[in-house]
Amino acid sequence: MRIGIDVGGTQTDGVLINGDQLLAAAKTPTNHDNLLESISQVLHTILAGQDPRRVRTLNLSTTLTTNAIVTGKTEPVGMLVVGGPGISAEYYRIGDHYHQIYGSLDHLGTETSALNEDDLDEAISSCLDQGVKCFAAACKFSPRNPDYENHIREKLGNQADFVTLGHAISGQLNFGRRIHTAYYNSAVWRIFQRFAGALTTSLKGFSLEDVEINILKADGGTMPLVRALETPVQSIFSGPAASVMGILATTPVNEDVLMLDIGGTTTDIALFAGGTPLLEREGISIEERPTLVRAIHVESIGIGGDSLIHSDNGEVAVGPQRLGPCMAAGGDRPTIMDAFNVLGLAAFGATDRSQTGMTTMSNVLSCSTEQLAETVISTAVETLATAIEQLIFKVNSKPVYTIHEILTSREIKPTRLIVIGGPAAVFQAPLAERLGLEVTVPSLHGVVNAIGAALTRTTSHLSLTANTARRKLSVPMLGIFQSVPRGFSLDEAVAEARKLLVGDLAASGIRINDQEVQITQADSFNMVDGGYTSGKNIRVVAQVRPAVVTHLADAPATLLQVC
Amino acid sequence: MLKAASSLGVIFFPAFDWAISPTHPEREERLLYTQDQFREEGLFDIEGISEHRPLYASDLDIMRAHFCFPSVSAICTESHRISAGGAIQAARLVFEQETRRAFALVRPPGHHAMKVVHGNRGFCNINIEAVMVEWIREHYGRKRIAIVDTDCHHGDGTQDVYWHDPDVLFISLHQDGRTLYPGSGFPYENGGPRALGKTVNIPLPPRTSDEGYLYAIEEVVLPILADFNPDLIINSAGQDNHYTDPITNMQFSAQGYARLNELLKPDIAVLEGGYSIKGALPYVNLGICLAMAGCDYSGIREPDYNPAALRESPDLMDTIRQTCAYVLDSYHHPPMGDFEKQGEYFIRERKIYYDTEGILENQREELKDCESCRGVRLIKSSSSHLSTCLGVELPIDCCPACEQEGYTAFTRAKKNYVVAQLLDQKNKRFQYLSE
Repeated sequence: MRIGIDVGGTQTDGVLINGDQLLAAAKTPTNHDNLLESISQVLHTILAGQDPRRVRTLNLSTTLTTNAIVTGKTEPVGMLVVGGPGISAEYYRIGDHYHQIYGSLDHLGTETSALNEDDLDEAISSCLDQGVKCFAAACKFSPRNPDYENHIREKLGNQADFVTLGHAISGQLNFGRRIHTAYYNSAVWRIFQRFAGALTTSLKGFSLEDVEINILKADGGTMPLVRALETPVQSIFSGPAASVMGILATTPVNEDVLMLDIGGTTTDIALFAGGTPLLEREGISIEERPTLVRAIHVESIGIGGDSLIHSDNGEVAVGPQRLGPCMAAGGDRPTIMDAFNVLGLAAFGATDRSQTGMTTMSNVLSCSTEQLAETVISTAVETLATAIEQLIFKVNSKPVYTIHEILTSREIKPTRLIVIGGPAAVFQAPLAERLGLEVTVPSLHGVVNAIGAALTRTTSHLSLTANTARRKLSVPMLGIFQSVPRGFSLDEAVAEARKLLVGDLAASGIRINDQEVQITQADSFNMVDGGYTSGKNIRVVAQVRPAVVTHLADAPATLLQVC
Repeated sequence: MLKAASSLGVIFFPAFDWAISPTHPEREERLLYTQDQFREEGLFDIEGISEHRPLYASDLDIMRAHFCFPSVSAICTESHRISAGGAIQAARLVFEQETRRAFALVRPPGHHAMKVVHGNRGFCNINIEAVMVEWIREHYGRKRIAIVDTDCHHGDGTQDVYWHDPDVLFISLHQDGRTLYPGSGFPYENGGPRALGKTVNIPLPPRTSDEGYLYAIEEVVLPILADFNPDLIINSAGQDNHYTDPITNMQFSAQGYARLNELLKPDIAVLEGGYSIKGALPYVNLGICLAMAGCDYSGIREPDYNPAALRESPDLMDTIRQTCAYVLDSYHHPPMGDFEKQGEYFIRERKIYYDTEGILENQREELKDCESCRGVRLIKSSSSHLSTCLGVELPIDCCPACEQEGYTAFTRAKKNYVVAQLLDQKNKRFQYLSE
């Protein structure tokens, strides 16, 4: 049996699933001052009458780290940065303890000017003097050569409670993102650490002490709790990812499909290519700062059921503001939901209030109430459709780097639109008409996020590079920097990447087979020095992509208990 | 976070699966380290700098710029069509105002490909700037266009394509042709009889560094551009003038190149040569991108950069100053070349060697000395591999008499030529004579 829990901004959902059967579902308001209390409540409800010793896995999606960042409840971080020539590290300044240390590496990882130990000593003592206990180190080109970052950690020794090293977070090149990611990782470390400790204790009370605990990531997959303690930053923005995976678990998707999650204020759009959710190219942004945290690409549009209707120089406009609920639900000014009510496409709440509000507004604009409502809906649908079309265009025109890809790359062409969220049903018909797509609205018992959390599997990735001229192989995220023979080939590199990824997951108790590892890049470049081939430059990226372990069988909606 | 003062679209296409041969300078690895540098510096995270994929140049796109003998498909592989398509994408971004400027960082290069093409010359098959310029004029009408070629080698291909076209100003700064391939690009090469002064060559002595290059830009290129007043400025941004380049002898740096672009303010830049793939390209390309986007580039520096050691000697700067003064004067008062004339036609007879493929071309060009238009042009070309072919070009302002003469020559070509191609800029007809 598996438990899935989604601690969301307003609600905490929980489900208990056995095989493909939903056994229990519960929902409770989130207590932000005590997330464990909310978790305990849903656990208590879904485990009622069940044998907890049969539960093998508990997957948890939580807003803990997201919330800590948004509300500024993070810890000060001593950010130690080695930039060197190029775009100045000053542009990435973050937090109150940002220190630049002189030194530089080039794109091959060769030291081009030595690390200045005085700079480093000074930076560390300045941080320590101000009581900083968590640190992060990021160096330009550290995935090519982690020596500086490792040296910084050694120098900090036991003066730091925790240190994030940039190269261990991601093997991907991007200095600015590395700085931001390392910073946030250290900034949320302690709050996550405390939460994990308390969680483990409270699970004992439910006789769940032997379950495998996984934490949801923004890429829709999970990571074992032991990993999350090292990289808590990966747990941010897991909510939208849980909802995307929930759709995958309840509505089998094998083709190109769009998903719309229509809420009160915004609509989230996600795209599945051949049944797999599309990820951000490099990583998600936190507080508008780009990071290397892998995430499902979710585009947020300012259209929702409560989007305000207003006039823009006589033109009817909808959203992106939301001033409150629709008039039918007691609001002061008409919203999209009121327009649906007026046209009889919905019968939500006090429809007479919708009528009154819309009529008052149409009088001002000197048109009929129906005309106004129709304009409102077509404007909202047009906004959504344009955003969808732009997203598809963007995905299909993403840069590629080989002639082969230009000539053979498959165009992504969604044939179906899955709509969820409160106002989903009323948007179904107008969206289908505008986009010419089949639009489906699945019934999800209001716990789709928890289902997604319960049924998603572990994801992981690594980048391997080898330079046979220098006889070096590196997998920065695993801390592997070793020598290889001169004749090391691309095939061997791919096999090695598969083996390492499987082995790394096995080390934290996750067993997957070789076939589940997907190779997303495998390139080998002939390197030439002085007119002769000196070796090969090999680049391999391997991943276990987001997917669900099983599809849920239909279940009666009466299962959901509100606690 | 950094923000671009003027938006820049970068078409980055390294063609990671294409090489002339495994150890040729034009191989898969060429832009690998540039990509590493771009990624690590987060170039595309800068607000206003975006990355785009190339378009694909069709037969027609290529036939607007070239006479390809025996056929377009015999000359062009997919790689050339995509590289030219990268340049076309750059033009599209700028003309559709999606970005203020664009940089086509694509390979293979093109500036040694001449009007007539039989094969690969100097690593180039088709002239990607020329294909782009003709695409621009096809879609956005007649334009005054300036091409400033800063590749270390003389841009003899681009010079040849626009030799007779007064709408296109071609300026090349390069290492003196007496010391480097292709051995041309002297100040007296200043355009055909109908476009005199619209070709400008600035040969620079070996070991020219930042000061010399920037002197030529400020003292010659910018004043000429101000006078010509183009609608569009294109930089053929070869980077083999870098001090680490293995096949040339200049001393230009990434800082110098960035400053050059800051001064030149090209609307579009197109990569040409540059084969110091580890020591120069990552830094020079980053410098060009930041300068074109109006971002701070002061921190860019090659690991072994030592400006004092690269600096020109006083004698060398004197030579540069003299050349520059002469070139500027020749632009304003172009000396009439000794054009050979037979009857009503200007005649050029040339032998052109295609170094990469060992082809020798024999070419005779006949340009009508017409009072009403630029004159119909007939090019009769044979090679060591192919019997005589005919190219017929009608200029955009072609008069009825020249038009008739051109079509007559084209339709009767079957008798004497194995292949004939028509390039009618006036009526926009581009075709081969059908069998």
